[in-house]
Amino acid sequence: MNSQTKSQFIAVASITSELSAVMVVAKEISLAAANAKAIAFRAGDKAKGFQPITDFINELAKETIELVTNINVYALLLYRLTVNEYRRTAAYNRFEQVAKLANGAHYANSMQEPITHAKTMMQDCQRQFKRDVTQLLGQLEAVMHHARAARVIAANSRIEASQAGEYLQSLQAVAESVDKAAHTIHDNVQRCRIALSIYRNS
Amino acid sequence: MKMTKIYEGAHQWVMFGRDENKPDNIIDSNQYIVRTANKCLLLEPGGTELFAPMMAAVLHHAPVDQITDLFASHQDPDVISSLGLWDQALSNAKLHAPALWEGYIRNFGCESIEYVPIPDNGETIKIESVELQIIPAHYLHSPCNFHVYDSQAKILMCGSVGSAFEPANAPVFVERFDVHVEKMRAYHQRMMPSNQAKRAWIDRVRNLDIDILAPQHGRMFKGDDVKRFLDWFDSLQVGTGV
Repeated sequence: MNSQTKSQFIAVASITSELSAVMVVAKEISLAAANAKAIAFRAGDKAKGFQPITDFINELAKETIELVTNINVYALLLYRLTVNEYRRTAAYNRFEQVAKLANGAHYANSMQEPITHAKTMMQDCQRQFKRDVTQLLGQLEAVMHHARAARVIAANSRIEASQAGEYLQSLQAVAESVDKAAHTIHDNVQRCRIALSIYRNS
Repeated sequence: MKMTKIYEGAHQWVMFGRDENKPDNIIDSNQYIVRTANKCLLLEPGGTELFAPMMAAVLHHAPVDQITDLFASHQDPDVISSLGLWDQALSNAKLHAPALWEGYIRNFGCESIEYVPIPDNGETIKIESVELQIIPAHYLHSPCNFHVYDSQAKILMCGSVGSAFEPANAPVFVERFDVHVEKMRAYHQRMMPSNQAKRAWIDRVRNLDIDILAPQHGRMFKGDDVKRFLDWFDSLQVGTGV
């Protein structure tokens, strides 16, 4: 296995790993939203501005989970494609080796068709991989967008929390956890994007 | 890769092996082809490492599109791990291999090649006009295992039975049976787990008219050495190699 194939396998595997961490964090946001809703309900009028924010947080968490679930399915397809490309490339290289070793053999020319076919299949896989990576990067960008939105919501939450009297600390804690989660999602997804960006269609 | 024609009649048998360029840490194995006018059956195609020299050697005898059938006696990687490569090279081929091992062997890659499962009691396969008997050889050494008998050529491809490990320059036929025995003993005691299975195989094989015993590793046996081998194997206690 050459170093390009190895790093391709690692890049694809790292997406699954990073995204599973994103999933955990997105679930934490969902939990924070539920917690915030309960606090805002108890705070009544003092947290009136905070109540619609909890719905936003919850919605955002749900959408992130949904996006990441879809991306994981896609990442699995990308992994299969990588395996396929590896097999095709290995076959093409071996077939080329056969052609060299069979020099002078009575039926050496009959190897030409498998070589051409293997080369076509290998190139198809490489093109498909680049297309799929480009698409996956687009999906990851959508998750980044959600993470940015979550940070805006966290900032608004802090403002609303400051007017919640004795509930200030609890609501600020919610805002902090949303902000922290948004950071984590942003960082993890960014690492996925960096790992994949060298393979995208130029 | 050394090529030795071991039968020439209306069809041919060729033995391949003793690849001088194979990595040292990979065991040497014998491959065989049965070549008819328009088809070629490849017996024990070999491991991935062996694919390129093997395919190149076969091209001295048959074009790619006439390699129509493969046979694997059992599931071991030195027998059939090259399957994924044959699968991409051959557009219209069948693999005859034990039914029990189908789910295992497919791990090597089998998308375009048709897997033809061999039932436990064996069967007959036909390559143009050549009829080959697939003889059960279970537990010798794999729990589901088959040998191939050609009654026209009087050759029994006997898989792991009769195997020995030799350097690349060793002759392809046994020359002194008494010397060769010591190269086989430990392998058979360790790899063959059952005296009962061995007995059943010997009873079955003694009824066949055999000129050449062709194992997957080491030298082939011909003439009187065939009977000598059967007698020696008959008297050997197996499953005792540890």
